[in-house]
Amino acid sequence: MELLLQTVIDGLLMGGLIIIIGVGFSLCFGVMHIVDFAVGEWVMLGAYAGYMMVRHFGHDAMFYLPVIFVIFSALGWVIYPVILQVVSGKRFNPAIMGLIFTFGLSITMKGGALTVWGYHIQSVPTWLTGKTLYLGPLTIPGLRVSGFFFGILVTLLLLAFLYKSRYGNVIRATAMDRDTANLLGADVRKVGAFVYSLYAGITAMSGALIGALFSVHSVMGAKYTMLAFFVVVLAGMGYVPGVIPAAIILGLLQSFVSVYIGGRFNLAALFLVMYGVLLITPKGIFRRGW
Amino acid sequence: MAWKLTVFILLLVICFIFPWIVSPLWLRIGTEVVMWAGLAQSFNIICGYTGRLDFGHGAFFGIGAYVTGMAMTLLGWPFGLGLLVSGIVSALLALAIGYPTLRLRGAYFAIATWAMGELIRQIATILDITGGAFGLQLPAVLNLPYFYYMMLLVTGLTYLTTYLLVEKARFGYKLLAIREDEDAAEMVGVNTASTKNWAFALSAFFPGVLGGIYAYWVTFIHPDSVLGGQITDVMCVMAFLGGIGSLWGPFLGAIVVQLIQRVLWVVWGEGTFYLVIIGVTICAVILFIPNGLVGLLEGTGLFSPKESVNELKKKIKW
Amino acid sequence: MILQSHDLVKSFGGVTAVDHLSLEVEKGSVFGIIGPNGSGKTTFFNLVNGVYPPTSGTITFNGRNITGLRPHQIAKLGIGRTYQVPAPFTKMTVLENVMVSTFMRSSSLKESRKVSWEILERVRLEDKGNSLVLNVTLEDRKRLELARALGTRPDLLLLDEVMAGLTPSEIKEAIELIRSLRTGELTIIVVEHIMDVILSLCDRIAVLDYGEKIAEDVPDKVVNDPNVIKAYLGERYSARN
Repeated sequence: MELLLQTVIDGLLMGGLIIIIGVGFSLCFGVMHIVDFAVGEWVMLGAYAGYMMVRHFGHDAMFYLPVIFVIFSALGWVIYPVILQVVSGKRFNPAIMGLIFTFGLSITMKGGALTVWGYHIQSVPTWLTGKTLYLGPLTIPGLRVSGFFFGILVTLLLLAFLYKSRYGNVIRATAMDRDTANLLGADVRKVGAFVYSLYAGITAMSGALIGALFSVHSVMGAKYTMLAFFVVVLAGMGYVPGVIPAAIILGLLQSFVSVYIGGRFNLAALFLVMYGVLLITPKGIFRRGW
Repeated sequence: MAWKLTVFILLLVICFIFPWIVSPLWLRIGTEVVMWAGLAQSFNIICGYTGRLDFGHGAFFGIGAYVTGMAMTLLGWPFGLGLLVSGIVSALLALAIGYPTLRLRGAYFAIATWAMGELIRQIATILDITGGAFGLQLPAVLNLPYFYYMMLLVTGLTYLTTYLLVEKARFGYKLLAIREDEDAAEMVGVNTASTKNWAFALSAFFPGVLGGIYAYWVTFIHPDSVLGGQITDVMCVMAFLGGIGSLWGPFLGAIVVQLIQRVLWVVWGEGTFYLVIIGVTICAVILFIPNGLVGLLEGTGLFSPKESVNELKKKIKW
Repeated sequence: MILQSHDLVKSFGGVTAVDHLSLEVEKGSVFGIIGPNGSGKTTFFNLVNGVYPPTSGTITFNGRNITGLRPHQIAKLGIGRTYQVPAPFTKMTVLENVMVSTFMRSSSLKESRKVSWEILERVRLEDKGNSLVLNVTLEDRKRLELARALGTRPDLLLLDEVMAGLTPSEIKEAIELIRSLRTGELTIIVVEHIMDVILSLCDRIAVLDYGEKIAEDVPDKVVNDPNVIKAYLGERYSARN
């Protein structure tokens, strides 16, 4: 019984962290129909940014989260026109071109990271490291709890923005029907740039958090790309609210497989489920995906 | 026109006498180039001609490697038989995977096949029969020209088949129609599901056989070496750089990418900077020469750097 | 009767696009379907064509139940169709576009090519045969739509608002073209908005409104049917008159 509870808690906490990555990724796809294959690499770069800042400027890793958000949002803003160029009509097949382009980006980022920082795994200390919460028979690492709550907080903020603010509504309208939104006065290009930079900023910021929580490694990107895909496929591509339950399911799945079947089967289970979902309900379990 | 034919025949002759005119090192390199030319073309069949991005295509190569490896070590079958079985198993697997997944379009298909590829790698690592994480050892044979000619044969077959079936026959027209507008193709009587499936199976057969040859050639295979994502990555770059959807694009791409790889190896050592070059190359190709080098040579589809930069500038100024 | 629909229903979520529609089309005739926007005309075509299956009801073609068959199977059985907004294979030539549609009934590439040129001549596109569709005008693309539908050698041709976007002189040409197709056993169903076109081409007309058939008769009778007038021009207008 204790094991079961512990497994559930671990799963939930894991899921919480994955939420932010999933939310940004889903939004990106929902608004601009761009599948960013480099999502894991944004995480990785954010993690390294956090690491570098702590190393050079001191203070705690958590301190730099907003800074990283700003930096990477700017970066996203700059890159977006290039991506837009690639997905606009004239080429062979815009959707495929977009995929391959972001794929190229991810390889460049990964190669760059490997060249600059090598294969060493770094860790980023923060005041939460080593702090553990003991709830009865359960062990809850402080880092994970903060990751979980951070994930929920950012997601709720984002959802509030999307559903309650004026610009948020503009974004959702653009996601639903680009042409009409255009006709009604939304500058679709600006919306796209805004969303992409938001996505880049959020994802990199969560990367910094993950770097502090776990570790920083040049090739960590692939894992998070997979997780992002899984969450978003399960939730439904572009259906942002679905990400929360989907990420929690993912966390629980990973946790249960690790504990009851074996860590080696983790990724296999992940892929099997994602593959199955793609075949049976490609629009996600809530059928609200694109 | 005549000089094109002369160049072609000259190249053909060089291909045939290659092992006897170069050192063993270059023979190895040449064998690898030939292999990749075949792999890139197989990727081209499903991606360039049929319009489906298969991000797990490398898995067929790995499967072929393992099937031949296991057939030879566990069942004691001869090499030739192992190769044939490799090709057939890969094709059958493609049919099995294709039947449900080819319904999916664009990004969904890419993700599904990517997931499938990773899954197959995971399975190979977990199972004991494949040697698991320890890899698989094949009997050793040292006969470099033999492997070169095997690769050449299969790659040649790949190109010949692509030429006959895809460039010249009705099958090819159907594939292009599917790539352009699948629903419209269905509407005018093309059985899109069946056509796609056969294209997928065809595109899987050749990497399967090439994988089998590779396994016997290098004598040791491992899930990460033959089933890793990097196989698909490289196939993809080669096909796009050379010219996606064209007959000779993949061949050109294979040569150029391998060349870059060797040059970087010499200049930087076994390095990771190579990845940066590859990544930037892909991005540049997509941005500026989406029809690849072949497109460049034919004069079609060079989005001139100046043009693209201007368009970019326009987009940034808001 | 070459085509019959029995009690055809198609719902999308909460919307019923086609509501218990029963129609019969006689072989060799030109049958028109008109109705306000959203009345289910294109949905009906999609059902006949196999784009999606009906929620309930059946469709019979040449005595055979074709409900639920896939589009390419229906094309093989002899139904061809054009789209309101042309959907050609853009990176192929005009000729190649038509060739693809002829594959079903030709035994070789050479034969396909020959037949395709003939069809292009028929729709007067032969001078654009080797041009890439990318470079071809809207009017020509509409002809190409027709050519492609003809390439399948259909017994029944479904024309979905072919006149949309054409100038008056182009419309005249189009009417002539469609009239010229009537030689032989070809049955045509035309969905149209423009009254003149329907009146001049069709033997019989059905009127749809909100997915239901509200009238079906010869053109003269339909035009004067009070229900039809009400559907098109609104309750108040017909009440006033």
